[in-house]
Amino acid sequence: MNHLSMALKNLKNNFSFYALYLLSISFVITIFFAFTSFSMNKIMLEKISGDGRVETMCSTISVFLMAFVIFYMSYSNRFFLRRRTKELGIYALLGYRKSTILSLLTVENLLSCFGAFVTGILLGGLFHKGIVFGITELLDLTVNNSEIPFFNLNAMIKTACFVFAIIIILSLSNSKFLFKSSLMDLVRFEKSAEKQTKFHAVPSITGFVSVILGYCIALDILRGEKSVWFSAGFYAVGMFTFTLILFGTVLFIASFLPYAVQTGKKNKKKFYTETRIITSPGFIYRMRSNSKTLIMLTLLSAATLTVSSVMALTLYYPIAAISRIAPSEIECHIENESDLSAIMEIVNKYSSGDDITFLQTNIYKVTSTARQLPMEYSAGTFKGDAGNEKILRNAGFECISYSDYTAILKAQGRQKALEQFTALNNNECIFVRYQPASGKDETGSTYPLLINNTEIPVTVTMTTLDNPISFANSVGTLIVSDSLYKMISENAAPETKVLSINGSSITGNEELFQALSAYLDKSPYLQGNSHRIHEVVSLNSSTFLLIGFLVVLFFIATGSILYFNNISAIADSKSDYDILTKMGYTNRTIKKIIRKQAITFFSIPFLSGLTDCIFATLVYKTALMQNLLADSIVLYAPTILAIALTLIIYMIYYCMTVHTCCKMVLEK
Amino acid sequence: MATLLEAKNVTKIYAKSQRPSLNKVSFSVTDGEFIAIMGASGSGKTTLLNVLSTIDTPTSGSITLNGINLKNLTDSKAADFRRDNLGFIFQEYLLLDSLTIFENIAVPLTLQKLQPKKIENMIRSLAETFGIDAQLDKYPSELSGGQRQRASALRAIVKRPSILFADEPTGALDSSSATDLLNTLKESNESIHTTILMVTHDAYAASFAGRILIFKDGCIIQELLKQNADRRAFYESIAHEIAKLDTER
Repeated sequence: MNHLSMALKNLKNNFSFYALYLLSISFVITIFFAFTSFSMNKIMLEKISGDGRVETMCSTISVFLMAFVIFYMSYSNRFFLRRRTKELGIYALLGYRKSTILSLLTVENLLSCFGAFVTGILLGGLFHKGIVFGITELLDLTVNNSEIPFFNLNAMIKTACFVFAIIIILSLSNSKFLFKSSLMDLVRFEKSAEKQTKFHAVPSITGFVSVILGYCIALDILRGEKSVWFSAGFYAVGMFTFTLILFGTVLFIASFLPYAVQTGKKNKKKFYTETRIITSPGFIYRMRSNSKTLIMLTLLSAATLTVSSVMALTLYYPIAAISRIAPSEIECHIENESDLSAIMEIVNKYSSGDDITFLQTNIYKVTSTARQLPMEYSAGTFKGDAGNEKILRNAGFECISYSDYTAILKAQGRQKALEQFTALNNNECIFVRYQPASGKDETGSTYPLLINNTEIPVTVTMTTLDNPISFANSVGTLIVSDSLYKMISENAAPETKVLSINGSSITGNEELFQALSAYLDKSPYLQGNSHRIHEVVSLNSSTFLLIGFLVVLFFIATGSILYFNNISAIADSKSDYDILTKMGYTNRTIKKIIRKQAITFFSIPFLSGLTDCIFATLVYKTALMQNLLADSIVLYAPTILAIALTLIIYMIYYCMTVHTCCKMVLEK
Repeated sequence: MATLLEAKNVTKIYAKSQRPSLNKVSFSVTDGEFIAIMGASGSGKTTLLNVLSTIDTPTSGSITLNGINLKNLTDSKAADFRRDNLGFIFQEYLLLDSLTIFENIAVPLTLQKLQPKKIENMIRSLAETFGIDAQLDKYPSELSGGQRQRASALRAIVKRPSILFADEPTGALDSSSATDLLNTLKESNESIHTTILMVTHDAYAASFAGRILIFKDGCIIQELLKQNADRRAFYESIAHEIAKLDTER
C-alpha cells in the first residue's frame, strides 16, 4: 500500500474524526480567501478609500491574519497529531521509518488542505460577495457587481501559495515532533501522566497582587490631573500598567489559580462532594499543561474584547456627541438679509415637507470683568498645542435669549431637555458647558457682564450640556432672560446671526446639505446633524469593518481552541468517566462534572479578559476621548452590546463543547 | 447464610455474535462467600461480571441482588444501586490519575454523602491494614503496580459493599504483590464478611476462594468447593481440573 492510498484510507475510515479538522481549516481558509479577495478588489478600495488608508490597513491586517492562520492550523494539527500518537506508535512498532510516517502525515495534510482549499475558495468567494454587498449597502455606494469577479485569480494564487507554505510549516512541525519522540513516547503518549503541579505561595500572591495593582493604577486615571497618569506621563504609566497586568495574568493563571484551588481543598465540607472531589483535583492536574494555552487565550480574549469594546465606543461616541456638536438638522450663518430667502428657497426646492422650522438666532458677544471665568469664555481665542483652530474667535460669553433657547430646543424635538428649565429672572442665566464638570460647576457663580460700559451682574442658576447651537457657531453660550437680552441687543450689534433649520422631512437629506454647502461656498459654519453622522459613518465604517472582521475571527479562534482543548482533555480522561460510572455516578452527575470542568476553562479567559477590557476601556475613554457627553450608562451601551455578543459566542462554543464532551463520555 | 445474589437462566447475546456469550447461566451466591469464576478467554467470565454488576444488561433471564431485580433498573437507578451495593477491582487498577490515593478512595464515600471526618477516619483505619498508609497523599503514577491495586481494593472495600466484583485483579501484578492482594481480599472476606466474586484465569488466585465456577462457551460446566481442604490442596485440585479441561479442548 503506498502513502496516497494509505492516507486516503485513513481519511475515509476516520471521517468523523477528520471532519472537525477539515471544518476548522476550511473555515480559516474561507476567511483568508475572502479577506485577500477584498484587499485585492480595486473597485471597492477605490470607492471606500481615496488616500490609501484602507489599503495600508488591509496590508497590516493581512500580516495578523497570516500569523493567526499559521498559529491556528499549527494548533489544530498538533491537537490531531496528539490524538493519533498511539496509531503512529503502532506504525513505528510495525517497522515504519519515521520518515515514512512523516510522508504519510504530509500526504494526509496535503489531501486535507486541498479539500479545505476548494471549500475555502467556494465559501470565501461567497463571503467576499457578502462583504461587498454589506459595504455598498451600508455606505450607499454605486458599484457594478458584474465587474467584481466571484473568484479573484490573484487572490486564489496567493491563497494557494499560502496554503502550500502552511503545509511545509506543518510538515516541519510534525517532523520535529516525530524525530524528538522515542518509540516508547509514541506508544505510551496517551498514558503518560501530567507532571505534578508544585504550589508556591510567592509567585501566586505576586500574580494576584500584580493584577490588582495594575487595575488600581488604571482606576487612578479617574482622579484626573492629580492622577499618576498625568504626573508621570501617559505612555510610561500605560506601558508599566500593561506589563504589570501581563506579568500578573501569567502568574495568576499558572500559579494563583491552582494554588487557590489547592487551598480550597482544605475546606473539607465543600471538597467532599460528588462533583468537587473530581473537578478540583482535575483542574489542578490539567493546569500544568493547559496553563500556557489558558494564558494565551486570556490575552487573546482581553485584546479582542478591548478592541471590540473600544471600537464600539469609538464608533458610537462621536455619533452620540453629534447631538451636541451639531444639534440642529441644518445650521448656518446668515451673513446678509438675502441669505435667508435664498436658503429657504433651496430648502423648499429639495424638500416638500410642511414641518420645517426656520429659526434665526442673533448671538451677542458680551465680555465680563470677572476674575475667574469658565474655560468656554476664552476657548478658541488662540492657537492650541495642536494648532487645529482655523478661525480664532473673540473671548466673551455668547448670549442668546431664554425664549430663543426654548424655541430651538422645541424645534429640535428635545422636549425632555425643556422640562428641566424654568423661566429666568432678570439677573439670572443658564450657562452652556462645553464638557461635563469634573467637580463643582459654575452654578451659583456671578459674572458681571459689561453692557454699554456698565457692569450688570448675572448669576448662573444652572449649567447645561443641552446646547442649542453647534460649537462651530457658539462656544460659551449664555442663556439670559428675555429682558436682559433686550437690553444687550439695544446696545450692540449681534456678533453672529445663526439660522437653525429643523424638521423630520429634511432629516438625512444629503442633497439639500450639499446644495446649501455650494450656496454658502463650503462655509465652516454650515453644520448638519444627519450630515455629520453620515460623515462619521463613511469615514470610519471601512476601518471598523476590517477591525470587526479581525475581532470576529479572534473570537472564533478563542472559542475553537477552547473547544479543542476541552475535547482533548475529555478524550484523555474518558477512562476516568468509565470508572466513575462503574462506581455509581449517574449520567446526570457526570454531565454536571463535564459542565463544571468546561465552564472553568471557558470562564477563566472570558472573565479575566473581560476585567482587562473594562479597565482598558476606562483608561481609553478617560484619557484619549474628548468628553462632550455626561457620563451615562447609555454611552456604554455599544460596549455592553459588544461584550454581550462575545458572551453569546462563548456560550455557543460552551454548549457545543459540553454537548460533544457528554456525547463522547456517555455514548455506549 | 442468606442468598445474596441469584442468577436464573441468564443469557447474553451480542448483536454481532452468532452464539450466546452467556447461555442460560444459573447460580446463587450466599452472603459472605468468596467465589472465583474461571475459564478460558471468551468463555463468558467478564460478560457475566458485567451483567451481574449492572454495567451490561442480560438478553434474558433474571438477576436478583440483595432482593432487587436488576432487570427492572433504569440507568440512574442502576447507578444508585452500584453506588450503594457494589465494589469493583479491575486488572488495570482504574484509579483516577488526577486524584491522590486518599482522594481516589474517598470518591465512593462522598457519593454516599458521608461527613468528611467520617470519610477520613474510615480511610485511615483501613489504609494501614492494606499497607498503603504511607502512600495516601501520593498520586497513582508515583506508586508501584501492587500498591495501586491495593489502593484500588481499598477503594472498593471501604464503602462496605454488599458484593465485591474483582476482574482479574492479579493479572498485572508480580507474584509477591498478587499474594499480598489476595491475602488482603481473603482477610476482608473473613474479618468483615465481604462477599467477593472474582474472575480469574489463575488457579493460584482462585485457590483463595471458597468456591470455583468454571465456565466454558458461556455455561458453567463445573463447580469446585474448597470445603475443609487447605489452600495448597485446593490449588492442586483446581490446577488438575483446568489442565483436564485444556486437554479436552
